[in-house]
Amino acid sequence: MKPRSLLALALCAALGLTGCGSGSGSGSSDSSPVKLLVFGAPEELGAYRTLIEAYQDARPGERVQLIEASDRKDLLARLATSVAGGAPPDVFLMNYRFYGQFAAKGVVEPLDERIAASSALDPADYYPVAMEAFKWEGAQLCLPQNVSSLAVYYNRTLFTKYGVPEPKAGWTWNDLVGTATLMTRDDRGLVIKGTEAEGAARLPAVHGLGVEPSIIRLAPLVWSNGGEIVDDPDKPTRLALDSPAAREALRNLVDLRLAYGVVPTDAEVEAEDDESRFLNGRLAMLMTSRRATTNFRTITGFEWDVAPMPVYRQPVGVLHSDAYCMTRGSKNKDAAWRFMEYAMAEEGQRIIAATGRTVPSHIGVSRSPAFLDPNQPPRNSQVFLDAIPTVRALPTVSTWPEIEDLSYGILENAMHRGDKLDDVVRELDTKSRPMFARGENG
Amino acid sequence: MSARSGPGLRAPQPRTEDGPASARSGPAAPQPRPKIRTVSGPDTRSRRQLVLMLAPYLVGLVGLVLVPAVVTLALAFTEYDLLRPPAWAGLDNFTALVDDPIFRVALLNSVVFALVAVPLRVLLALGLALLLHRRAVGTGTARTAALLPTAVPEIAYGLLWLWLFNPLYGPINQLLRIGGEQGLTVLGRTPPQWLTDPTSARAGIILMSLFTMGETFVVLLAARRALPRDVYEMAAIEDATGWDVFRRVTLPLMAPVLALLAVRDAIASLHFTFVPAFVVTDGGPPPYATTYLSLFVYQTGFEYLRYGYAAAATLVMMLLTVAAVLVQWRLIRRYRRLYTF
Amino acid sequence: MSGLVLDGVSAAYRGTTVLHEVDLTVERGELLVVLGPSGAGKSTVLRVVAGLEPVTTGRVHIAGRDVTDQRPGLRNVSMVFQSYALFPHLSVVENIAFGMEVRDIPRRQARERARAAAETVGCAGLLDRRPGQLSGGERQRVALARALVREPDVFLLDEPLSNLDLALRVEMRTELRALHDRIGATMVHVTHDQTEALVLADRIAVLRDGRVEQVGTPDQIWRTPASTFVARFVGSPAMNLLPADGALRPNGAAPELPDEPLEIGFRPEAVTLDAADGAPATVERVEVIGEDAYAYLTVAAGQPVVARVPAARRPDKGATVRVGVRWADTHLFHAASGRRYAP
Repeated sequence: MKPRSLLALALCAALGLTGCGSGSGSGSSDSSPVKLLVFGAPEELGAYRTLIEAYQDARPGERVQLIEASDRKDLLARLATSVAGGAPPDVFLMNYRFYGQFAAKGVVEPLDERIAASSALDPADYYPVAMEAFKWEGAQLCLPQNVSSLAVYYNRTLFTKYGVPEPKAGWTWNDLVGTATLMTRDDRGLVIKGTEAEGAARLPAVHGLGVEPSIIRLAPLVWSNGGEIVDDPDKPTRLALDSPAAREALRNLVDLRLAYGVVPTDAEVEAEDDESRFLNGRLAMLMTSRRATTNFRTITGFEWDVAPMPVYRQPVGVLHSDAYCMTRGSKNKDAAWRFMEYAMAEEGQRIIAATGRTVPSHIGVSRSPAFLDPNQPPRNSQVFLDAIPTVRALPTVSTWPEIEDLSYGILENAMHRGDKLDDVVRELDTKSRPMFARGENG
Repeated sequence: MSARSGPGLRAPQPRTEDGPASARSGPAAPQPRPKIRTVSGPDTRSRRQLVLMLAPYLVGLVGLVLVPAVVTLALAFTEYDLLRPPAWAGLDNFTALVDDPIFRVALLNSVVFALVAVPLRVLLALGLALLLHRRAVGTGTARTAALLPTAVPEIAYGLLWLWLFNPLYGPINQLLRIGGEQGLTVLGRTPPQWLTDPTSARAGIILMSLFTMGETFVVLLAARRALPRDVYEMAAIEDATGWDVFRRVTLPLMAPVLALLAVRDAIASLHFTFVPAFVVTDGGPPPYATTYLSLFVYQTGFEYLRYGYAAAATLVMMLLTVAAVLVQWRLIRRYRRLYTF
Repeated sequence: MSGLVLDGVSAAYRGTTVLHEVDLTVERGELLVVLGPSGAGKSTVLRVVAGLEPVTTGRVHIAGRDVTDQRPGLRNVSMVFQSYALFPHLSVVENIAFGMEVRDIPRRQARERARAAAETVGCAGLLDRRPGQLSGGERQRVALARALVREPDVFLLDEPLSNLDLALRVEMRTELRALHDRIGATMVHVTHDQTEALVLADRIAVLRDGRVEQVGTPDQIWRTPASTFVARFVGSPAMNLLPADGALRPNGAAPELPDEPLEIGFRPEAVTLDAADGAPATVERVEVIGEDAYAYLTVAAGQPVVARVPAARRPDKGATVRVGVRWADTHLFHAASGRRYAP
């Protein structure tokens, strides 16, 4: 008798577990909260909590539950597995570079009808370039929360100390190299060439520039030089950096390390990443997106600001944008939409903008003090707004995450190991082909 | 498991002398036979109890391991991205794997890792077990120290090594630079670039795996302590050197345990490359120096959403494991024929 | 020159002294049996000689050499363990040759000598087997062959027969004695079995609580036990011990008794149950072993006495008998110390 009842108990427990797993997704739409899946640094997550609290205060009865992923890859994995498991989150936040695979596979709910019916949202209030990035086969799938591009953060205090002119709008690539060279200093404050040959003797204490050798950093440089990174921006089939313009931009990027030694070596980057290096006052300039601002606002030891990207022939930026997307499998779509409306409208945008992390996609908010607050660094936030008219989006192909990982490895070796440029270009071409071939375009 | 030197059925008495009762009477009572006939046997009741006791485990095994494994293997023959229903693909995934340079690199990395790390791990565990099996001052602490890395959660262990391996500020390279000048070692060489040089990174992953041999160590410690003491005293009386004792006594007596542990470790080696590669090296340095099969499966399955393809790679990984186990098992059986336990 | 000398040897195990200044001399070619109950320190004596345990005081000499500070391998002793300590992964011939192989004697020569040693103890047919395939008696022979093969100065045998069944034990006992007579080696044999000791030994050393109680030939041990301990330990059933001034008075010519409490001891076979002037006693129970019977009695004062009588003439349980014993068959011991009193 006793063992039998024990067995029954064990079986019940096993069934209960599986029951639990399937039960959570099928709650009635009124009782269960809207689940919002995001990832980010602690201060970003804090911003979302603030947003949710404000929303719940403003709309009593509405509930939103924040699901935190540890990083972008974790978010992708969680989203995919929860969709496969039939219990996806209602809303998730995703960069346009990575939403392609979900868009192509029908995971994201088109929003055109809801937008048209909404009294709170007017598409005209938002930067078109960001809205456009989240259109898949003509349908608006997600609503961009922000619109950013690259900028050059720089340590003003260091520039003043060494008497080097600060970067200013309209500067060229050669200006960037010259400035970076002048800002690469040893521990006695003397200009030093941080290339391998001499580097062993004296290591730079301050590097002129930090830039990661990735396709998303390279792209705006190529574009600015009049080149392309793929063969056909609308229907890409390969990474194509074989044009003279693209080659030149690539050559110049890797030369930052190989010829001038103004960027830290790979070992130095592994020891201390560029953002920490900048925070610790040992990097004069850093080429990165608006994302770094939140982190840099913790700096107390020196003054810093942002400058626009250097220009080859014409100013071109690369779009960085994350959007709120609703899952097609959501059981709670109306409530999810109400939250999205709130987050996208002026008030929601203001709350997120206050963290400094993003450039608001809402045109009005981006021009308001919520973003351009003169008391908060960087003083020159206008740089980000000025870049918006010229930003371009990267191709949204469903296999883009693979392509980015692939190109990162190849470009890293090009910059730090000195791989031959012909090989680099060819490798990017041949290895990306099957990935593009497997991908679907929006 | 212990290879006792005594007779089989007439179990040898341990070193204690007989009690006073039998000391008085000339004829000693026959030795009690070992009790074996208690659990097994034709007794249906005890068999039913056995089934009941195993049931929770079996339910868990079937529900949490076997069914998902079978489903995964079935998915290996489909194109499945987790988002849309799987579509039958036949052997497409496998032909694609053959042509996939990343998969080939990952496969090679995994095999090389197993070939290097498994023997090293077992040898290190054996060495420690032989050093620490005696009672002496500090052995308890040393045993705990040997076990400790195994008890650290994997992610934390990975993060710890990320710090240890830091090329400029990490303690390992700081140590290596002692006595050297301008960031070089005493020998005038650059210290290993753990996270940026492919060979150093692979070595680093192996190094990381070495310190988690705690379980193997514990088993070997127990196995060594179970070896009969008088056999060693015998060897001492015959003036066998330490090396002779190790080669002619300890090693052969522990060989069955060692072989089993090596099999176990070879199976596990496919798994314990995952967290180090994921947390510490992220599969790099580029292009794929430390991309092992486990990381490859994770990336293709969950990051690139090629679940069917990843399942095919998993199937290959399992077949590889089975093959490795079979080979080792044959070797063990050949060796074990020398024994009659 | 003596084969083995223990000179005031003490030994301790985990802080407890287990041997107290033991003096022992074993002549060359002699077979000494160390006899005692468990915990008496018998095995420790062997282990001290072999060098497996250190001495705390005293010296050990083997064949005239002081080996006290030498490691076991240099003492040229060989030992047969109670468990035989055969290597399970080696064949019989490899087991026997082990000592020679680790001493770098050429393999062929080692095998040859192993074969010869195996023939000596009658296990030449087992050379290619492994210990797991052998019976207890066969293992014993292999262990003996392994001890023999190196021609050591001293053989140490630690209860080698205790794991055998009775018939085999009796057989091996005889063979062991014959072997000793044939090779004339110096042997120290440890046992708790008094019969084994009496049958095998040239001389017996009786050990009690880490001290030598008596050393002597089996005859001396049997006929003139040095103490009540030896008297009762050797012989089965044990010797009867009664207060000298008790109910039982031996008959015949009494020796001169001192003015102190004594105990008289006599073996069961010295007792008669139909003595005219014997002490009255009740038969408590009777054990019959073939032709002999042992009657367990209680004399009037309440002390137990065992008597051996022919089975045919055994008394009935509950019967009253008159117990008699002759002075000539008795041993006298000081009641206080237990040492023998010699008139």
